[in-house]
Amino acid sequence: MILGLQLTAIIFSLVMIYFALIHYKKGQLNGTEILSWIIIWIAAMFVVAFPEILRTYARTFFVTRVFDLMVLGGFILVISLVSAAYVRSKRTEKKLEELVRKLALRDTKKKK
Amino acid sequence: MRIFIVIPAHNEAKRIGAVLADAVKTKLPIVVVDDGSTDKTCEVAKKFKVTLLRHRINLGKGSALKTGCEAAFSMGAQAVVFLDSDGQHKIEDLPKFIRALNTGKYDIVFGSRNLNMGVPIERYVGNKLASILVNLLFNIYVSDLICGYRGLTKRAFQKLDWESTGYGVETETVVKCGRLGLTHCEVPVATVYYDKFKGVSILDALGILLDVFRWRLKR
Repeated sequence: MILGLQLTAIIFSLVMIYFALIHYKKGQLNGTEILSWIIIWIAAMFVVAFPEILRTYARTFFVTRVFDLMVLGGFILVISLVSAAYVRSKRTEKKLEELVRKLALRDTKKKK
Repeated sequence: MRIFIVIPAHNEAKRIGAVLADAVKTKLPIVVVDDGSTDKTCEVAKKFKVTLLRHRINLGKGSALKTGCEAAFSMGAQAVVFLDSDGQHKIEDLPKFIRALNTGKYDIVFGSRNLNMGVPIERYVGNKLASILVNLLFNIYVSDLICGYRGLTKRAFQKLDWESTGYGVETETVVKCGRLGLTHCEVPVATVYYDKFKGVSILDALGILLDVFRWRLKR
């Protein structure tokens, strides 16, 4: 059962590395970003393959099972990524709004 | 006082013609902002003697009003009156706004609809509850928070500097009016509801409600 879960998680990580590489080739991710994603997914695979290395950390944070610590870490990561994506999308939205409004005002001035 | 009419429009090709035909009779300068319409709104508006601005993509009512105000004030307006492009506001009510603005006493003039003037009961009740909530949170009572028919001076526009891009703009204006201590009054207006699915939807209303709490926390 555990082995099945580990295999699924490792295959998932490999697929995610593949997707990251595709985005890199399309120019949607830069060198630093692709490197960060590869490091994150390799670390995830390593932790999944050898969960015992997290035992000490689990004890430090008073978490009974290593699996719980991994789920907790996953949640923290997802929440941080969602907040960062939200802030970025808001910023882009604002810039887009300013641009569209500026173009509308400029077009009218030109006509005059 | 030099007053301009500002009309934001999004996919209103069917109705904006009639609205503009009425509006040009007032002889007031008119600014129409086509907010990324995909129908012939722009072509219809071009047939009238108006200043037409065009958002290349749809941004929302708040942004369209901002663009319209900026254009109007840069052309020498001292105050503007907002009019919806779907014909739900009656041009006969416009003199009430002009009179109130011309007194020089008010920064903002809010239009207010009531049950006798064609507002469906569910909207009326929702609107009243929202007015009470805003009154409790921001200490300002405006009987019709989301009526788009309103007038404001250049000074008010500069002070308000709203951030809402969509239908939240009307409520944000009221909230900021209370916070900034701008002078205001209300005038009764008639309204006609043509389209069930346009205007402020339940989802928009929920979004505005969340914004109200966010603005309260921002203090």
